[in-house]
Amino acid sequence: MDIERREVATGSGPVTTFELGEGPVVGFLHGPAGLDEPTACMRDLAVDHRVVAPCLPGFGPTPGDPTLRTVHDWVVFLSELTDRLGLVGSRWVASSVSAMLALELAAVRPEAFRSLVAVAPTGLWDPDDPGVDLYSLSLTDQEAHLVADEEVRTALATLPEGLDADGLVELGVSRYVRRRTAASLVWPLPDHGLADRLHRVVAKVVLVWGAEDRIVPPSYGERFADLLPTATVVPPIVGAAHLVALDAPAAVAAIVRDDSG
Amino acid sequence: MPYPDLPDGFADQHRSVWVDIDPGLYDPEVGHRAYHDYLDELEYAASVGFDGICVNEHHANGYGLMPSPNLMAATLARSTDDAAIVVMGDSLALYNPPLRVAEELAMVDGLSGGRLVAGFPVGTPMDTCFAYGMNPLTLRERYHEAHDLVVRAWTAEEPFAFNGTYTKLRYVNPWPRPVQQPHPPIWIPGGGSVETWEWCAEMDYVYSYLSYFGYKAGQATMRGFWQRMADLGREPNPFQAGFIQFVGVADTDAEARRLYREPAEYFFNRCLHLYPPFADPPGYQTEATVRAGVEGMVARAAARSADRKKAPTGSSTDGSFTFDEMVERGYVVIGSPTSVAEQLVNVATTLNVGNLMLLLQFGNMDRDLTMFNTDLVAREVLPEIRGLFEDEWEHRWWPTPMGAGRRRSVGGVR
Repeated sequence: MDIERREVATGSGPVTTFELGEGPVVGFLHGPAGLDEPTACMRDLAVDHRVVAPCLPGFGPTPGDPTLRTVHDWVVFLSELTDRLGLVGSRWVASSVSAMLALELAAVRPEAFRSLVAVAPTGLWDPDDPGVDLYSLSLTDQEAHLVADEEVRTALATLPEGLDADGLVELGVSRYVRRRTAASLVWPLPDHGLADRLHRVVAKVVLVWGAEDRIVPPSYGERFADLLPTATVVPPIVGAAHLVALDAPAAVAAIVRDDSG
Repeated sequence: MPYPDLPDGFADQHRSVWVDIDPGLYDPEVGHRAYHDYLDELEYAASVGFDGICVNEHHANGYGLMPSPNLMAATLARSTDDAAIVVMGDSLALYNPPLRVAEELAMVDGLSGGRLVAGFPVGTPMDTCFAYGMNPLTLRERYHEAHDLVVRAWTAEEPFAFNGTYTKLRYVNPWPRPVQQPHPPIWIPGGGSVETWEWCAEMDYVYSYLSYFGYKAGQATMRGFWQRMADLGREPNPFQAGFIQFVGVADTDAEARRLYREPAEYFFNRCLHLYPPFADPPGYQTEATVRAGVEGMVARAAARSADRKKAPTGSSTDGSFTFDEMVERGYVVIGSPTSVAEQLVNVATTLNVGNLMLLLQFGNMDRDLTMFNTDLVAREVLPEIRGLFEDEWEHRWWPTPMGAGRRRSVGGVR
């Protein structure tokens, strides 16, 4: 499968973007693990779609932008990015913190998305069902909470072959920076007021959860659905944790296919 | 300023001394006595001739009962006459607006007649990111902005507007203003990052390395600091550096080991019982520090070394330290006055440090033993370590109080 990698100019600097496949266009926003190359879910979807997957600043090859301090900063950036990608009004998939940002953007810019498959979005807070504080866990435990499948987890933790010492250093720093960036979006709590804005979202939203998600428990699916005007909740995917698209790539791709918009 | 009654088996039964320590362990009556004991001990140190007395800031912490160092400093400003009041210090990013720090420290400087040292730590990740919810990503930017506001507030000759990223004030005009002009000396507690060394050099501030792991472990950091200062063309004035050291003195080495074993073990094996992830939230370390750490790991891996850079751990299976290890590794300097004086001269000269901050109370050491320790150090150790550097170097970072004739007596009326 041909993969095109290009740099998309934005006010936050060039954004590394992967494009693959042919067919209806789907924008794909990665989760807290970042994006070094197209994932299995993106490749599955690209069999019959044109997948456009930008790496957000600080999540891999796209450098961090120190002016992105608040959720508001990120929403303004994401709005610009959808313009620069030419994907305003398209179908999108987004995971975890980026699903929260996508919902924030959909609330203030209703035309931004035609539809959104939101995979385990952060952004709400129930004190009686708070979920695990991911960043108070050891790195090993963080990985176990993000991904349920041990093989996937091992693959994520495995160092790419052929990296020299400089490459290993850059990879280590990059992994720290993406944890830093993801954490900053949910620190100290993920609630930035999204609940008060979700009623403005007009795009159709499909809510997807992993049944083993302990970071944002599956019960949050109904909470989001109650606040969104047009949302459906897919039954939680068994065997998947928070990063559903990594644990169950085919299942998520199938849900996106079913989402005809 | 540890809570003195953490139970036996604390480390086995509780996850951490910091952040999520069990509130049920805190007895307010024990706290009441502890505060007065600690203030007595600091006042006693001032009365027997110590140059300064220190207070610090911690939150949700079983070994640091001072969420507000300024409250304690204000009390000490009234109850002491000559010692410097060293606030080590206010974690600037935690104050909203940070102008509050400029105001409160100006009050302490005023109360004390100009005896304040203003320490400005970034603050530990446990205090700032977990207990106070600061976003690790923006903590340091917030800290530096707060520093700029405080210093400008102290020195501006007219009210001004402050348009920061995190603090916006139309009118900045603190009353009172500090006695010391242009402002009290500023000391920066640090943990060994290159950025902090460079900032201290640039701002002409004291760099204080506050490690609980003693002078042997501190050598690499202080060497790095002085090397960086040399690279930047700065003179190696030892008074621009501070270092903290646990000290226990008795008439003989054997007696010192007998007296200080329990307090040391209490401190290192209960008060430092920290759940490790609380010490490293993503974003707390600067990218440069992370890069240096990763480079070190890669280099060691390449050399097939089994050593890994990490905080010192004890030899027992649960990571705790034996007293012998604490002494051997230099975490605690223990012994007779002669022995301790020799060791402290060695610490000061080896690290090139002109400001030694001696922890004479640690762990669950009671008031009587603390005062015994304090008294013996004052009488028999201080004379041996004072004046090591005065002939060659000027201490430009020490408070400059009002003259005795201008200062009002601080005696009360009751």
